[in-house]
Amino acid sequence: MGMVATSDNGASTTANVAFRAVPKGAGWGSIPLPLGIIQYLSDHPSFDPNDSDFNVFSILDLAANPPMTLKLSDPGNVSSDISIFVAKDSLQVDLADVRKAIPEESMKFGGVYHLFGIGKSFGAFFVQFSPLVHVRNEISLSDKFRRALRDAEPFTSNTRYGIKDDGVAQAALAYQVGYAVRAFHAAHAESASADPRRNGGTAIYVGAAPKYLMGLAYGQIISNAGVTTGDTLFGSSNPVAVDMAGLTRHAAVGGEGGMGHGLGADLGTVLYWRNFELGVGVTDVGSTIHWSTSRNLLTYDDSLNQFTNVKVAQNAGFSSRIPSTATFNLAKRMGPTTLAADVVRNELFTGIHMGAETWLGRVALRGGTYRDSNDRWQFTGGTGLRFGGIGLDTAVGTNQRNTQEARAVELCASVTLY
Amino acid sequence: MRRRAAWLLVLPLLLGGCGDRSLILTVDVLSFLSPSDVSQSYSMPGGFAADTLDVASESVNLLPGVQDVTEVMSATLKIGASFANQTGTASGVLLIYVASADSTDPFTTAPIASLPVVLTPNNVTNVSTEVTSIALAQAMVHNSARIGVRITFDTTATPPLQFVTGTETITQLLATVITKKKL
Repeated sequence: MGMVATSDNGASTTANVAFRAVPKGAGWGSIPLPLGIIQYLSDHPSFDPNDSDFNVFSILDLAANPPMTLKLSDPGNVSSDISIFVAKDSLQVDLADVRKAIPEESMKFGGVYHLFGIGKSFGAFFVQFSPLVHVRNEISLSDKFRRALRDAEPFTSNTRYGIKDDGVAQAALAYQVGYAVRAFHAAHAESASADPRRNGGTAIYVGAAPKYLMGLAYGQIISNAGVTTGDTLFGSSNPVAVDMAGLTRHAAVGGEGGMGHGLGADLGTVLYWRNFELGVGVTDVGSTIHWSTSRNLLTYDDSLNQFTNVKVAQNAGFSSRIPSTATFNLAKRMGPTTLAADVVRNELFTGIHMGAETWLGRVALRGGTYRDSNDRWQFTGGTGLRFGGIGLDTAVGTNQRNTQEARAVELCASVTLY
Repeated sequence: MRRRAAWLLVLPLLLGGCGDRSLILTVDVLSFLSPSDVSQSYSMPGGFAADTLDVASESVNLLPGVQDVTEVMSATLKIGASFANQTGTASGVLLIYVASADSTDPFTTAPIASLPVVLTPNNVTNVSTEVTSIALAQAMVHNSARIGVRITFDTTATPPLQFVTGTETITQLLATVITKKKL
């Protein structure tokens, strides 16, 4: 259903802690079936650099598309010839279809990952322990460098071709105590159902879960490197000046700086009114970890052809943030039909999901659309078949998670527990 | 050395995407020749069976590191030249030499191409050819190479004390090297 977050979906309790207090909806648990494993085993990229079929972009595509889903269409490998033209004062590099791998703007990736949490509920209270990883990296090429690689624009003399990298990674263990409860309830006169999604009544659920963050490791790098061409590109044997500088900050358990400590919280609320659902959930509200960090300055001296690493600070206090993720969801249920949408705002992008589902007896029909992390709309459609307490769901969806950014279609399946 | 290090970082990244495809390196060798070498006047006395004019011997700086990460499959050189002959009659051969190392005298190696040319008074003769050469392939993937251009004249068709005169112009020296990655 377009991967919309709703209170029906058990996985959405991470996005909105108030969903924990809402009676379980249909299809609470879902187990994905790794359809892509067989396809992967029969046809996977070569990992041997000496193999003539070795293609690093195929491996990158595999990393972006773990073999959980069955590929129904293949955008193909990046496989065209690369051409380089050299003259005394000219250099042109044509990467052909690899050009598409060069982003038009800076390349950002990462996210906040709450991994395999273990918890237990005690009435409205719950305790939970979960590892947390935050990664963010932004790589940007200078305009000239980007155009030289993406548009095959000739390199020119007396020009700097630069690349910047701004990255941070941190890991922590989150110990969380939470409380989620129905704060308001006005039952619909004609319905005895306890399910607030469909009983027509009004209800408000709220949840809050403060957390203690035990910081395991923190690393940050801000680097800038480039080459500056001389008066003539190939006029001498050494025509470019190389510059490189990087500033790092780090701390780790068992290493410099040791463990970090911090606090944060997840908050959420959801309103049900006349079979509408309106939810707002925010994770990592004010989540901050305090570290004792070391800072190093790494520079490259072009004249000496030498790297220098200087420690510029030790035991420097530093507070890192775990970025918040806000999820707004809206749903309307009309008998066997559900219409739903959400907006998810995180550190890197704003995602939008929309979907619809209707049940025709034991069969569900679903369709949806969502905006991916590159602001492109993707489409999904699927069906479900229910046999008592168990069901089988299948869906096809589009994506552009490949080097060529070509639209691909995949099939996924899951077993749902009702 | 620094440029070599930079290219050694960049080239494998570029070539990693090749799959079983190729890196096609095209070098405009002519651009490395000084203008005075590209177009030269000649004046050769008649009556000699073999007279030599060394037109050019120039360094060609190339992409460092290519030979470390690629395996040469083939190499071709497109050659073009024009002879605007004014006086005398002669036959000649345009010879192209390539040495892999910048320090090597290219004329001590075997020529990779030879183009016969016939010169007659007040006549412009254009010659061109395309040759395949392993020596050229090996040279073009080195950090630098040295290119040599020589013309040998047979002026026996012109009486002694008269001269074969004119201007020769190199119009094209374009090398194309096709390589596969070697990682």
